Amino acid sequence: MRAINFAHGEYYMLGALVAWTALDRLQWPYPVAVLTAALACAALGLVVSRLLMERLLALPFSMAVLATLGVQLALQNGAQLVWGASPKYFNGGWRGGVEVGGVGIIGQQLVIVLAAAVAFAALGAMVRRTALGRAMRAVAQNREACLVVGLDVARVTRITFTLGVMLAGLAGALVAPVLVNVGTTIGLPMVLRCFAIIVLGGVGSVPGALVGGLVLGVAESFVAGYLALQLRDAVGFAVLLAMLIVRPQGLFGVRVRA
Amino acid sequence: MLVLTLVAPAVLSDYTLHVAVLSLVYLLPALGLNLVYGYAGLLSLAEGSFFGMGAYASALLALRLGWPFWLALPAAGLACALLAVPIAVPALRLRSYSFVMVTLGVLVISESVAKNWIGLTRGDMGLIDIPRPRLAGMPLSSVAAFYYLALAIAGVAALAFRALVGSAGGRALIAIRDDETLAQSYGLDTWRFKLVAFVVAAAFGGLGGSLYAHYTSVLDPSIFDVFHTLTLMTIVFGGGAGTFGGVLLGTGVFLFVPEALRVAPQWRMVVYGLLLVLFVFRLPGGLGPALARLGRRGSA
Repeated sequence: MRAINFAHGEYYMLGALVAWTALDRLQWPYPVAVLTAALACAALGLVVSRLLMERLLALPFSMAVLATLGVQLALQNGAQLVWGASPKYFNGGWRGGVEVGGVGIIGQQLVIVLAAAVAFAALGAMVRRTALGRAMRAVAQNREACLVVGLDVARVTRITFTLGVMLAGLAGALVAPVLVNVGTTIGLPMVLRCFAIIVLGGVGSVPGALVGGLVLGVAESFVAGYLALQLRDAVGFAVLLAMLIVRPQGLFGVRVRA
Repeated sequence: MLVLTLVAPAVLSDYTLHVAVLSLVYLLPALGLNLVYGYAGLLSLAEGSFFGMGAYASALLALRLGWPFWLALPAAGLACALLAVPIAVPALRLRSYSFVMVTLGVLVISESVAKNWIGLTRGDMGLIDIPRPRLAGMPLSSVAAFYYLALAIAGVAALAFRALVGSAGGRALIAIRDDETLAQSYGLDTWRFKLVAFVVAAAFGGLGGSLYAHYTSVLDPSIFDVFHTLTLMTIVFGGGAGTFGGVLLGTGVFLFVPEALRVAPQWRMVVYGLLLVLFVFRLPGGLGPALARLGRRGSA
């Protein structure tokens, strides 16, 4: 869709906090809480898409970015009204340790990796093989041409956006046990990291996002482990800068002459 | 309008005046962002990072070397212009998203440096007691006195900005923004113009940062927070990117609106966010151009 959405990290934050409410306040089991978070985010995504996103496409780039900034502010501060400013202790998920190939990790991290693999495979298959996926790729390439051949662009946009928001909420609910403390401010740093990953991998490339995410995650962990924990946040962008100088179109992006 | 800005300290309360000073301070990096985005078409999130770098440069020169504000201010502008060159050279090879992300990276990395180079910046402990500027031996300690100083500096910067975008160079930037390939085919050295725009914008940011540091007198790495950059974007996009009056107006409006909403502190930022969204749909060209249209309709 080629728009910069600053609000996307807030759905991740909401996913984590909705899951916390379901778990802590309603005493639901963790898997149900995760499902609730994903569905709640999907519902919210549908509403935001209906009210906003479909109309944004007609606006100039800078105005669309400004609107997503507005949504970001409203969501983050709205969440603060509901959940308060103090972080919440997230007591759920698979806390036990497991050993994978001689490396000890927390069980929940294994769950995250598996969930990411499933989401990646499903997303890749959908984008490549289904009619809907074909429509998405078509809309990304040329909106006008899609309108000419009678494709319901608004509907494709809505489904794409809702799906994206649902995945963000799912990620929030899954990562929350590893973060331990979840608060309303976890969204913005996350969305910045996502930007880095996407540009690293190449805008509009699903395998690119996977490799970008892996490169960033490994680089961050190595620097945190061997150099200094505080430098972690800067690493992603240092990697990105170095890579873009060598390969401006991203790892998997196709070079387009603008 | 001019009279209004001159008598402002006499009629405004100290708090409102404080917000007015902040909007004057923000005007400098906002003009910088307007130059790179509104005229050269480059969405640079590094503008907020030059604001912070200028603030640190000026504060450190004043605290460590005892430089007076009048020397630290131009030095901060110059330092940012110099730092901008090695950033611009690789970054300007990139287009659209990649360029935006690299400038975002500059912001994140500069925050990390400010946090971790404790020997120089004292990290999260921050710098305190940054001296207020002195005029004829007297420190400008009242808000009103600083207001006039900020007004004078912002005024000079605004005039310089106008002269710049009205020149042949300014027209070349607009040509590049509208169609870089076409501009190139007319023999414009587009790369050099973009570089100059980026560097000048960095200097504007640095000057604003210096003013900020000497006004608040405390400084910590949170100056590099994305929040400040988002505020700048709101001012420039909301006021009307690529216009001069719009950004001038935006600086006032987008700093005063959140303050005016303080009547409901809890809801303040939620309402502000929703207002931004509403605003985008009602006035997609920005505030300045919308008012200009209104004015033309009135006179016709």
